[in-house]
Amino acid sequence: MMPFWLTMAWRELRSAWRHFLYFLACIALGVGAVVGVSLFSANVEQAVLKEARGLLGGDLEIRLSKPIGPQGVTVLQGLNERGVRTTRVSELVAMASRVDRSQGAAEQSQLVELKAVESQYPLYGVLRVEPDRPLMDLLRMTESTCRETCHGAVVQESLLIRLGLIVGDAVKIGQASFRITGVIHTEPDRMANMFSLGPRVLVSQEGLVAADLVKPGSRLRERHLLKLPASIALSPLLYELRSRLAGESARVSSYRDAQPQLKQFLDQLTRYLGLVGLTALFVGGIGVALSIQAFIREKFQSIAILKTLGADTKTIIQSYLGQAVGLGAVGSSVGIGIGIIVQGLLPQAVSTLLATDLLQQIEFSSVLSPAALAPLAKGLSLGVLTTVLFSLWPLLTIREIKPAAIFRREVEGDSRVVLQGKPSLRRRVTRLLTIDPIRTLVAAGIGLGLAGLSVWQAGSLTIGGLFIGGLLVAVVALVLAAKALLIVMRSLPVPPSLSMRQAMGNIQRPGGQTLGVMVSIGVGVMVILAIALLEHALVRQVGENRPTDSPTFFFIDIQPDQAQGFLALVHQRTGDLATQLTPLVRSRLHAINGRTVQVEPEQEDQADHTREEKRKNWYASREYVLTFLDELPKDNTIVKGVWWKPRQVFARPQVSVEEEAAKGLGIDLGAIVDLNVQGAIIQAEVSSIRRVEWGNFSTNFYMIFSPGSLEGAPMTYVATAHVSPQDEVALQSAVVAAFPNVTAINIGEVLSAFARVLDRLSLAIRAVALFCLLAGGLVMAAALAATRYRRLYEAVILKALGATRALIARSFAAEYALLGCVAGTIGIVLASAFSWAILRYVLELPWSLEPSLLVMGLVCTVLLTLLVGFLSTYRILGQPPLTVLRHE
Amino acid sequence: MIAIQHLTMQLTAAGQRVTILDDLSFDIPDKQKVAIVGPSGSGKSTLLGLIAGLDRPTSGTIWLNGVEITGLREQAMARLRLANVGYIFQSFHLIPTLTALENVAVPLELAGDPQARQRANELLQAVGLGHRVSHYPVQLSGGEQQRVAVARAFACRPPILLADEPTGNLDSTTGQQVIDLIMALHRDLGTTLVLVTHDHNLAASMERVITLRDGRIDSDQLSYLQHRISDH
Repeated sequence: MMPFWLTMAWRELRSAWRHFLYFLACIALGVGAVVGVSLFSANVEQAVLKEARGLLGGDLEIRLSKPIGPQGVTVLQGLNERGVRTTRVSELVAMASRVDRSQGAAEQSQLVELKAVESQYPLYGVLRVEPDRPLMDLLRMTESTCRETCHGAVVQESLLIRLGLIVGDAVKIGQASFRITGVIHTEPDRMANMFSLGPRVLVSQEGLVAADLVKPGSRLRERHLLKLPASIALSPLLYELRSRLAGESARVSSYRDAQPQLKQFLDQLTRYLGLVGLTALFVGGIGVALSIQAFIREKFQSIAILKTLGADTKTIIQSYLGQAVGLGAVGSSVGIGIGIIVQGLLPQAVSTLLATDLLQQIEFSSVLSPAALAPLAKGLSLGVLTTVLFSLWPLLTIREIKPAAIFRREVEGDSRVVLQGKPSLRRRVTRLLTIDPIRTLVAAGIGLGLAGLSVWQAGSLTIGGLFIGGLLVAVVALVLAAKALLIVMRSLPVPPSLSMRQAMGNIQRPGGQTLGVMVSIGVGVMVILAIALLEHALVRQVGENRPTDSPTFFFIDIQPDQAQGFLALVHQRTGDLATQLTPLVRSRLHAINGRTVQVEPEQEDQADHTREEKRKNWYASREYVLTFLDELPKDNTIVKGVWWKPRQVFARPQVSVEEEAAKGLGIDLGAIVDLNVQGAIIQAEVSSIRRVEWGNFSTNFYMIFSPGSLEGAPMTYVATAHVSPQDEVALQSAVVAAFPNVTAINIGEVLSAFARVLDRLSLAIRAVALFCLLAGGLVMAAALAATRYRRLYEAVILKALGATRALIARSFAAEYALLGCVAGTIGIVLASAFSWAILRYVLELPWSLEPSLLVMGLVCTVLLTLLVGFLSTYRILGQPPLTVLRHE
Repeated sequence: MIAIQHLTMQLTAAGQRVTILDDLSFDIPDKQKVAIVGPSGSGKSTLLGLIAGLDRPTSGTIWLNGVEITGLREQAMARLRLANVGYIFQSFHLIPTLTALENVAVPLELAGDPQARQRANELLQAVGLGHRVSHYPVQLSGGEQQRVAVARAFACRPPILLADEPTGNLDSTTGQQVIDLIMALHRDLGTTLVLVTHDHNLAASMERVITLRDGRIDSDQLSYLQHRISDH
């Protein structure tokens, strides 16, 4: 036999499910947001896992910042003999310019990411090119078609658009011309960066040689990709190569430990999206609590009857909890449906947000697979558990319903005595003081439960804890602010207008719904606005921080023999004699105080590495770009030691080290550092420690040498140039025409690319955050539905007394607008506070008030509450009084 | 057996303490038919509710079949009520979301009776509502609703039946039918019956009449004695 509580739950639901439409909608919306995000995340996970080798480009990767040396070549040859397939990929940024078909002179130019490959490429993954022909056929011209252009290039479509080219046209890169033979659709091993400097151009290694771009000291990334035969184990070879290639300053990584940046980025993104989704679910939970509260109030009589018939509180609570669980499960199932739709839309939002079409790159598909079962089950459990947690509190009211309720109502004709209504202040105080152990226990249980769900969703104790802590602070602040506002409202003089009076009365009416609605809408407004505020602050930071005298261009890879010619050209073109060349020498750290720097290989399991250790490792293993200068650069301050005097002569080269790097490397004044510059060791003594203002848009260095100490080292120059906006294109074209190997980076363009990425990112998060606001709107609709009858009755009585429909509509409008105003105000204040806290303590950026954004937020909130309110209650306005009163 | 000693009930209404019942003491032996009468506000319904354990008195004790109920916790009280007390209300108090059959089945199901539905069906047949089992309360007339309530009160065959003006909301013909039904069931099941009424004829038909006034017992008469006295 079914237990009584279950039978009863079923019977109640049978007649009452209509009351629970908002309940269902609230849970469905929340679960939809959560499931959508986690499905997306699971699909990403799966795709990345499947494509891990493709993302690295091989089983193993040897990465260098210069062409591999003779020792390395020997190692690679040895590998080939052991059956390992290898292929070389060279990557660098370069300028591509359009070769005008009529004059043959370069006119327009564009920064591109150049990549040169060999015939084996790609070892793993698929390169999709249009037309679908073998890559090498596209990159090598046959003798017959070769006249002046003997190399082919396949390019990303954006290059064609920016330079106004079509397939078949030629571009000039470095010293060579390339015929564009195809368009790249997907490229397996393009490490997804948040943004790229320019479109991809893929050429053959022969093409790269012809372009003559690789000079000593050029910014080059050379990758040797390895595909192992089944007979060779991965890890031993990894360690073998690490030791054998130590002299090459090469980084060797396997597809397993080279956590792709892409995956890290998407993990982070989906984690935060997931938490925003959980917020929507929790806001929905408030709707559940309000629905249950209204339902219990409605069932008051039935519960009292059940008690007189001998049902105990436990049985009755079980029965209603059973109903809540059933409804939670139904709502969650609907939510799963919504989630499946959301996850179909989310990739579109995310993929447009990244310049590299990274989802295509990992062959992402949003088709439901067995891997989707876990997120679906998780969504269902999150939905049901949230329902239970939010139902428990209002269900506790059942304990307080005395069976005497019904008969006393008959005796005294005064239902107020029974339970509901407003307990006197004294009773409330005593209730607070004499702690109700069950309520306390349940409250603790609910708190722990919600924290548990947050940790589960965040997948991290810290982040889950921070999330629930932040939410708690927000809710407490919302409740306190809402209460304070209600008290203030009560103390205001009674407004003369009837509709205003009616509206304020409705808001202040006891029953707790107002508070719940304000909190729900407030949380939604807060989340969306906080995200918008953060985005604004970041964009402003980047834009505003750019000093008015900041350069327009960075020119990099200027060769020593081009230096004078380059300067002359820029001076002539811009009239700006301030343009100077800064020498660059690429190096790696070799030893500190005579002790060779041991770079710990990246562990496969990095969990035991503290952040501090990772940081140290990063400083020890990174490439150092050195320079030598007479004068301390602008925005640098010496914090320890002294800067050298002009023409001072030292026995040993002196070096000034940046503060954080010195800390990371554990070096102080007087320390001796050995730097490896392309095989030659340069020794220097640390004579000062500097603090650098990194955000100042000029060339900054970790290590600056005393003048003359780097003589003879292979170097290139960088230069910055100021030019008026209308002369930008002309200067760039002139430089590229005269010095094809020099790369021009337009800072304005880089900044606007960054702002675009931020904007898209913020858009994706706001799209999920919108669910929070929708849930808030639903909660309000639920609360209005709960008071529908009372409103109807009052409206009818007012009408019977001669009020017009317009007056009633006005009073409703005033009520909803007031509600929106209060909730919105609290929401924007909290959003400002949160964004302030995050900017101040996490991002360490300045905060400023954003009046226009906040006012817009407030206006939108008021519009939302008006809309929801009218959709929920407009039918009441048309009710003829008699029909309603007759039923009384 | 119901034993009541020094029963006092006070309530606070509008900040004033009002004494509803004032130090009542009396016993009701098993199977007795008792009417409680008195003017409105004399505390009749409160007394009945306290006997059913629906509320706690301010002071005094109530014994139901040897159990002192005023100190019982809610859960124990619910179980005791389920096993011992049937209650009929003036305004029926059926659960609106349940059918007639389900309303009657509730106490049986609470008691864990595996044949709850079948028993409920029989009970409805017995009160003449065999054709109305699947109707909801709103679809039933007042008399029919009260008959469902009677069937529900008798469902677990409680040794004590408490009826609070069971005919108060019914016309006289229907009221009489309900009274006949209650009496027949009382006779058949040997239940102790305590009935609050304004109806003097109904009261006169009971074995004992307790008259309350201002929360005190005004008179407590065994009606056969009354008859005998009047016979003389």
